[in-house]
Amino acid sequence: MRDMTFGQYYPAKSIVHRADPRFKLIILLLYIVMTMFCESFVSFGLLSFFVIITVILSRVPPLKVLKSLRLVLVIVLITTVLMMVFYTEEGEAALAEWGIFHIYLGGIYASVKLAWRLMLLVTMPTLLTLTSTPTELCDGLESLMSPLKKLRFPVHELALIMSIALRLIPTLVEETDKITSAQKARGAAFESRNPFKKIKAMIPVLIPLFVSSFRRADELADAMDSRCYRGANGRTRMKSLKFHFGDVVALLIWCVIFVAILFLKYNWLGWAFITAVGL
Amino acid sequence: MPFLDIKSVDYAYNSGDDEYIQALRSVSLSIERGEFVALVGCNGSGKSTLARLCNGLILPDRGYVTVDGMSTSDKKSLYDIRKRIGVVFQNPDNQMVTSIVEDDVAFGPENLGLPPDEIRARVDWALNCVDMSAYAKSGPLRLSGGQKQRVAIAGVLALKPQMMILDEATGMLDPDGRAEVMRVVEKLNREENMAVLMITHFMEEAARADRIIILDHGRVVADGDKKLFETPDVFTRAGLDLPISVRLAQKLRARGLDVGCPIDIDSFVSSALSALEVQRGEVKSDEEKNSNGGGEV
Amino acid sequence: MISVQKLSYVYSPKTPFMSQALFNVDLEIEEGDFFGIIGGTGAGKSTLVSHFNALTRVQKKSGTVIVDGIDLSSKKINVKSVRERVGMVFQYPEHQLFDDTVEKDVMFGPKNLGLSPDEQRARAREAIELVGLNYNEIKDRSPFELSGGQKRRVALAGVIAMKPKILVLDEPTAGLDPVGKRAVMELIVKIKTMCPTVVMISHNMDEVASYCNKIAVMRRGEVVGVYTPRELFGSERVISSCGVRLPLVTEIASKLACSGLNVDPSITDEDELIEALVALKGGSHA
Repeated sequence: MRDMTFGQYYPAKSIVHRADPRFKLIILLLYIVMTMFCESFVSFGLLSFFVIITVILSRVPPLKVLKSLRLVLVIVLITTVLMMVFYTEEGEAALAEWGIFHIYLGGIYASVKLAWRLMLLVTMPTLLTLTSTPTELCDGLESLMSPLKKLRFPVHELALIMSIALRLIPTLVEETDKITSAQKARGAAFESRNPFKKIKAMIPVLIPLFVSSFRRADELADAMDSRCYRGANGRTRMKSLKFHFGDVVALLIWCVIFVAILFLKYNWLGWAFITAVGL
Repeated sequence: MPFLDIKSVDYAYNSGDDEYIQALRSVSLSIERGEFVALVGCNGSGKSTLARLCNGLILPDRGYVTVDGMSTSDKKSLYDIRKRIGVVFQNPDNQMVTSIVEDDVAFGPENLGLPPDEIRARVDWALNCVDMSAYAKSGPLRLSGGQKQRVAIAGVLALKPQMMILDEATGMLDPDGRAEVMRVVEKLNREENMAVLMITHFMEEAARADRIIILDHGRVVADGDKKLFETPDVFTRAGLDLPISVRLAQKLRARGLDVGCPIDIDSFVSSALSALEVQRGEVKSDEEKNSNGGGEV
Repeated sequence: MISVQKLSYVYSPKTPFMSQALFNVDLEIEEGDFFGIIGGTGAGKSTLVSHFNALTRVQKKSGTVIVDGIDLSSKKINVKSVRERVGMVFQYPEHQLFDDTVEKDVMFGPKNLGLSPDEQRARAREAIELVGLNYNEIKDRSPFELSGGQKRRVALAGVIAMKPKILVLDEPTAGLDPVGKRAVMELIVKIKTMCPTVVMISHNMDEVASYCNKIAVMRRGEVVGVYTPRELFGSERVISSCGVRLPLVTEIASKLACSGLNVDPSITDEDELIEALVALKGGSHA
């Protein structure tokens, strides 16, 4: 828990850091769709290649990225192993077999792809939080969603809530740790396997956590009031969002990658080739 | 007209079950621009309630509070009042709005609707004032308590207020953190002519202010300069400690050694030295007289 | 009572992210000690004491911790019995209060020990009275509506109700006003008659100097040394190399001594300083 990197910005000077958060968010969206379209090892390789390029360009030490992926890594590993041993293929001979566990060649392929896809899926969002401050992200979202303001959708408030949540999550995680230790010291047992008992055992942790969250919320509200907060009206921003030529280029590059992956998936290249030969 | 004027203010709060607790009783005090005032009192004396009255977070039941001529009861002027009076609260973890130091410091000036360049300039200036420029891009988790409070001070400073209220801002810090914050506050008072109202129960800190106000059970029981320490009773009656130098001086006086009323450690040391030296000097001259006298006889 | 030998501790071992919190710590805490632990943030104080009640387990081949005869470095230990023997009071302990009445909250520990309801209640009563609160008046009140000082006492009672032999406190007076600080320290002295071994982490040198008989100085995961208050605050070498602050009395005494006055610079007690100064005055008369 103490190494949780989520929502933690890694300050550095790089083109990825400098990029407009709105473009980063759009590219991320595009990227997530792309991972869904990846099917062949070639397309996985292609996407991974560009992910690695982005990590290098971001100047975030690769170790730091890995560190924030650690929790996910465990989940990925478990899913992969489960998938591998429970995968069955009709009419194929298993490579190995222990009781109910079978390993098929197809299973290995499928599980490696699953693991790869999951890893790709979480790496970029992590990189996004490492290279953009929560303020930037919230501003980006606010700006992208601003058309909704016309429909009286509380875009500014939502962005502010998000920013505060991102700010408080690490503090609350730390606090949960502390309270858990304190109750353990008073003999509380959290190790019960019975889910009902487990929930009951959590009460001595959850109640103090709620109490302190309310206290924090009150104090934060006072601090914000004292610093002249009065909603979105008349509020300006220190870092106004400006996009540059580079942002557009980056978006275009990712669009090209997308098209390439679509080509690979639907074998458009093959059809094109056949059509050309046919002609 | 004083900058901050509190006139016969009563305030009671609901402690649940419709039980009202009278936190302040006909409190009157005023603070001028550039003053450095310490407000002391033990827990439950109404100190923090007073802080929240000053910028209109709560409103008095009776009496009034004005800042620069504007009443906190007038809703329209609250914003202008809060531009003039900044408040730093006790818990370093509950004042930061965003996860990045400089973005947090920008929160205030952004609310003022200033142009981006001006906000940037104010943020840089404020962080420099509290000596935190090197941490502009860090998150709160990597900062010590003292550093977080300095960021909170910068956040208030960026509004360019004329007065700063520190509501037990050093209460949760370790001695090093306390010293850091005190250094910054004293500098702001000296160099920026910032009026400071420092609410504290550390008497060593209070002794560094120009003026000390003692609050006891919701009433102002004393209001004066450092000479207040010459009448230690007013402090002890309000359930307060004395700074160690005053306490030692008091004990020494009881034992027949007068070192005056030194309010900090260094002045205690020098006055103790001079008191002992003087007495030695007197003794010496006595001895000389004696020996001379002996000679005559 | 507590014997720590060559204790090391590494966070996230065997990963690229490992960081070492303790290096070869040796420590002997005897029955009856009021043992202080001081050191800056990140010195490893909390990691060290969290070993004492098995909140943190001794890592493989990383030394031994023996508490009241129980070897905490062995694989199988009865965690419950360790936590019964070692009571631990964390920083701002009032933040752990959760039940709807004071009595129930204090009974939480005894209940976890598996005591009978009557015994739980008796323990709660004893503990609440020991921390100086009126049992009948306070037992049915909600812990959340008490004053700050009262909350802290209730939280302390919650730990004492387990009747530990060793009490470990992390900054017990943090955030209190001077009167509250003194009251809590006096309370701890009172508790010590029942629970004879007390270990206290503190940043407040005045408290450490006036209450502890031994003080361990920690720096960057190591125990630099264990001293009596006089040894520690009189030793310029330790003071300057570890960035230890002097208690205010000692600061005055050493400044007086520096200016050539014949005063012991390691005095840690106000009255002792007064006596020394009065004696100087008398001495100059003689």
